[in-house]
Amino acid sequence: MRGDISGRRRESPGCTVEKPGSGATAIEERDEEMYTAGIDVGSITAKAAVFKDGAVLGTKVIFTGYSAGDAGRRVYEELLGELGLDASSVSRIVSTGYGRNSVTFASKAMTEIICHGAGAHFLNPHVRSVIDVGGQDSKVIILNGEGRVSDFAMNDKCAAGTGRFLEVMARALEVDLADFGQLSLVSDEPSRISSICTVFAESEVISLISKGEQRKNIIAGIHDAVASRIAALAKRTGIRPPVMMTGGVARNIGVVKALERKLELPIEVLESAQTNGAIGAAVIAARHG
Amino acid sequence: MDVLDELRKVADNPYGYARRLKGEGRAVIGYFCSYTPEEIIFAAGAHSMRLFGTHGEISRADAHLQAYCCSVVRGALEEALSGELNFLEGAVFPHTCDSIQRLSDIWRLTTRFKFFADVVLPVKLTTESSRMYMVEVLERFARELESAFGAGITGEKYLDSIRTFNKLRAGMADLYRLRSARPGIVSGSDFLAVVKAAMSMERRACADMITRLAGELGKKGPSSNAGGGKRIMLAGGVCDHPDVYRLIEESGGVVVWDDLCTGTRAFEGMIREGGNPLEAITERYMTRLACPAKHRSLTERGERLVRDAKEHKVRGVIFLLLKFCDPHDFDYPYLKESLDREGIPSMLVELEHQLPPEGQLRTRFETFMHTI
Repeated sequence: MRGDISGRRRESPGCTVEKPGSGATAIEERDEEMYTAGIDVGSITAKAAVFKDGAVLGTKVIFTGYSAGDAGRRVYEELLGELGLDASSVSRIVSTGYGRNSVTFASKAMTEIICHGAGAHFLNPHVRSVIDVGGQDSKVIILNGEGRVSDFAMNDKCAAGTGRFLEVMARALEVDLADFGQLSLVSDEPSRISSICTVFAESEVISLISKGEQRKNIIAGIHDAVASRIAALAKRTGIRPPVMMTGGVARNIGVVKALERKLELPIEVLESAQTNGAIGAAVIAARHG
Repeated sequence: MDVLDELRKVADNPYGYARRLKGEGRAVIGYFCSYTPEEIIFAAGAHSMRLFGTHGEISRADAHLQAYCCSVVRGALEEALSGELNFLEGAVFPHTCDSIQRLSDIWRLTTRFKFFADVVLPVKLTTESSRMYMVEVLERFARELESAFGAGITGEKYLDSIRTFNKLRAGMADLYRLRSARPGIVSGSDFLAVVKAAMSMERRACADMITRLAGELGKKGPSSNAGGGKRIMLAGGVCDHPDVYRLIEESGGVVVWDDLCTGTRAFEGMIREGGNPLEAITERYMTRLACPAKHRSLTERGERLVRDAKEHKVRGVIFLLLKFCDPHDFDYPYLKESLDREGIPSMLVELEHQLPPEGQLRTRFETFMHTI
């Protein structure tokens, strides 16, 4: 299933999609005239989404940089500017992400686990598991029929298998991270990356480069290694279909495909994967009026 | 000074307190686990001091122990090797988990404390033969203490010791009941301070203070944040991190009960005052809530966990397990299933001597509190 960048829902095979504002989703109590916003300040990027009448009006992604609080304000103001909205017309803001408590002007802070669950449920109510892989965290979120989080797990202590891991590898390979996905898909023989530690895995990649291994195979091997880490977390948490992947790493088709193979399950990715947490935050803001 | 302040002072600097006791001529003996028969140590005139490991870096111990030993074992050896524990006369190693047993050997090979004792307890706690065996083990331990500290342990000394520990445990039981009835009456980190003090402080003075504290709190009105937080039970091994309690509270929870070694398992059960004291001490161990390194039945721990969770009306259980703690790790899946079957939500946090990054821990606690 593909939605447009704003995260609006479209019909997808095998999924019944409700019309905005109708049916049993949790947004039914919202005020029709109200704008709400979600701001997701992650370790690498800050995302914002504006929501009205059961639909996402727009989203925005910027780099977080040094100050989480400044990034949250900037991404929000820039998005409002693009949409031609005044801050006074937004009745409620929910912040999320690791920098959620730095967004001091938000009405409420919620964890990104709850917001990714809410975003995924809003965009496709049939989703029962969400795999969110961001800059430094990977999370597996199990949803019940009402879209509430029933169980979750996240990596701790180690950022192997996350976006930062891929960034380090892209630097070592001198390849634009945006090209990683497509390059890996044409690999005929993925390399084996056995190190779990990011630093050691980078050394392993450098050894492979010096041995003359092709980039596409190394990248495919990196994706396999990342997918193994995430799959282990997913299996431990009791993942169940339909599965959606969100977060910045979901934009990497190579990781998604590798993960589908490891889990033996299809994985749904929307164009709005990276802004899903911000969308979920905006949906929650609308729900709580 | 307020009673709670005094207990906090001991908990904040237990080694400073132990050095002062040593200065007053008291022999201080380190221990690691709630299966240490402290009553005999007290009766022999010595002072038992629980060792929780370190919150600092571990480097010396790793030359002797595998990285898959838990941080309590690694941290304790680290402090023994660094000289941090020089106030000790020695240490006691009850036979519980494999790592404590190995630590016992390595401790003896690498340190120069005067006193050392293995207390080789039975694993099964149900049979008549294990009961008889345990009494013999305790007799042997008593003889070792007598020869090390030069005094015979009379029946009177045993009775005094048993009464002291009973008073302390009764006081702790009152505090537990108060906390469940009026959550937040003492903050989680203060409760941990009381627990730590009860394992570090001179027990007669400590029993008095805890009795006084329970009395004072019992007279107090409802706590300011009563009813605010979601009722949480902790389960697992050793938790020596006040920040865990703070983060739970800041995330909207309030701890009302536990099944921890630094908690109910150390304080549950009274010892009969009368008859053969070593038989009476054995009886308490045979009936007290068991730790996963001991065995009473296949399902007892799960049934008890569910019973406590229901009795104290908890919204969720947080498992706090030390990383690489095999006995607890083996029990965890079945304990979680026992809770799942009853619809009691739970989450697992792995701890070491240093906590995971606060942001991550906060995210997990906040999400859990939101979902229960």
